[in-house]
Amino acid sequence: MVKKLVILKDITKTYQTGKVSYQVLKGINLEVEKGEFLAIMGASGSGKTTLLNIIGLLDKPTSGSYILDGEEVSKLSKQELAYIRNRKLGFIFQAFHLIPWATALENVLMPLLYRKEGISKKDEERAKKLLERLGLGDRIKAKPAELSGGQQQRVAIARALIGKPKLLLADEPTGNLDSKSSEEVIKIFRELNQEGITIIMVTHDPEIAKYAKRIKIIKDGNFIEK
Amino acid sequence: MLKYKLLWGGLFHKKLRLILSIIGIIIGVASLLLMNSFGESAKIKTLKEIETFGPEVMMVVAGNVKVRAGRAIQTEITTTLKPSDAKVLMEINGIKYISPVFNGDGIVRYLRNTLITIINGVNEEYIKLRKFPLVEGRNFLKEEVLGYKKVAILGYKVKKELFGNKDPIGKIILINKLPFRVIGVLDKIGIDASNTDQDDQVLIPYTVAISAVYNVDYIRSIYLSVKDISEISKIEDQINKLLMKRHKVSEKNKDFTIIKAEDILKVKTQTTRIFSVLVKNVSILCLLVGALGVTAIMTLSVNERKKEIGIRKALGAKEKDILFQFLAESIFITMLGGLIGILIGILGALIFLPLFNYPLIFPLGPIITSTLLTIIFGIIAGVYPAFKASKVDPIILLKQGF
Ligand SMILES: Nc1ncnc2c1ncn2[C@@H]1O[C@H](COP(=O)(O)OP(=O)(O)OP(=O)(O)O)[C@@H](O)[C@H]1O
Ligand SMILES: [Mg+2]
Repeated sequence: MVKKLVILKDITKTYQTGKVSYQVLKGINLEVEKGEFLAIMGASGSGKTTLLNIIGLLDKPTSGSYILDGEEVSKLSKQELAYIRNRKLGFIFQAFHLIPWATALENVLMPLLYRKEGISKKDEERAKKLLERLGLGDRIKAKPAELSGGQQQRVAIARALIGKPKLLLADEPTGNLDSKSSEEVIKIFRELNQEGITIIMVTHDPEIAKYAKRIKIIKDGNFIEK
Repeated sequence: MLKYKLLWGGLFHKKLRLILSIIGIIIGVASLLLMNSFGESAKIKTLKEIETFGPEVMMVVAGNVKVRAGRAIQTEITTTLKPSDAKVLMEINGIKYISPVFNGDGIVRYLRNTLITIINGVNEEYIKLRKFPLVEGRNFLKEEVLGYKKVAILGYKVKKELFGNKDPIGKIILINKLPFRVIGVLDKIGIDASNTDQDDQVLIPYTVAISAVYNVDYIRSIYLSVKDISEISKIEDQINKLLMKRHKVSEKNKDFTIIKAEDILKVKTQTTRIFSVLVKNVSILCLLVGALGVTAIMTLSVNERKKEIGIRKALGAKEKDILFQFLAESIFITMLGGLIGILIGILGALIFLPLFNYPLIFPLGPIITSTLLTIIFGIIAGVYPAFKASKVDPIILLKQGF
């Protein structure tokens, strides 16, 4: 059993816009253990999203090493990364990013579409249970547009969980929600974490960050040591 | 089921766009199918017509005649071709059958049934040279022709309309009020190379036709057949010379025209070929434009659905998953359009073929061609947008304001 789920060593990211290059991440080192609940905070433009993209295998670092669940992933092909995203990661976005024409239940099942095993009746039952648990048992047939922001984010959480991921990644999960919905969502996060799911969350909001077990603050492309 | 909903639900999300994108394909496929059906049908039609106008048959037609669209069109009425011309031609060696022809409209009546049809004045060799089979009765006798006997052979349709299922042989009918005795009935022949319905006619001796019925001293044409097809040009030459001498005309002001089956066939196949090449190209062009329409709309759709594509990728879809999804969408759209187009095309063929007097065929060949072409064009139409879709970067999802 690997104890450390995420190990980032000297991760840098440089954006090249025409002739101007801009280093956003300047040698990030981070270790996240299984079962952790980490909040990453920092000013706007400090590189939080950039870092989360790299951890989430949606983007590649310019240099440095990234070991996810015991496997060096910084040199893998796009295909292999897609496979790992599907099996090991769950995403929750600020803007929910549900597919507008699909129902809540269909949105939740979407990740399983990209598994060889396909979608079984059992999976459908599991998806319904997840939605029920998140308080959406009576809205499984609803389209995203028919749901409130908080409800949409809960559908997104169910979608992130359906594939039984090792790591849940969330970029400003409460950024588009009012304070009541925000509290509901973050409480779900805490519950999930208590059940053993590892979470890395980016947030501006100190009230939200309070729920995490550990907080890291990013500034000028590096974590501030406390 | 759920799997396909998850894959292609986005396709049916915007129905108006779906319909717009298939219209081009529908038009393309329907016209392709319809045109090809006409082409096939025209081929069969020409073959059938040539059968009733064999390669050994020749026509001498009074006046200046042009063969246009396979039809011999007499440009003016000429009265200089006489029965005696036919008699002279009979002397030429190598001619098998020969018949003077005078044709005109006639009102035919039996009891209370009246109809207007074509009266063909011919001799006893005519139905042999045209290879018209008789279903009832007999051919004219030479004596009947020479003896101005009022006897008639009915076309198939004329018999049906005048007599129904009753036996017409020996009955007296009236042609332009003159009594004729029915001696025979022709079998079903159909439309011949001159585009006339050979079932809608009555044959009578030409002697009676020009004297008693129409009261003229000329004939309209002379039909003849040769014993040996290889001699047909030679005989054509002889006829030409002979008639020019008799009519005292030169090549320039000739008052008759000789038409061979070959001439008709040549013009016919040529026009059919030009026509079918033209329509094939035009309809393939239609299909191409339709396919381009699908490409354009799919590209638009990919741009609009970048978020969906990004989500799928973030959730673990590989480039090839997205590529196939969108390729399948394009192919589906084209196939749907193709299917509707084929149905419309078949319907069109069933309606328009009989309307234009073309033989009714079930256009199996054209259907297969159209289907294959549609699939090919669907793939072509889908490649670019699908490729574009597969390259969408899921990073966009985490960008602000997205
Ligand atoms: N694709 C890109 N090309 C160039 N520069 C980029 C790109 N993406 C991000 N940046 C820049 O990198 C810096 C960090 O961006 P990032 O989105 O990671 O910030 P953030 O900490 O998530 O900010 P916020 O709190 O506003 O979401 C910003 O200055 C941004 O302008
Ligand atoms: Mg951000």
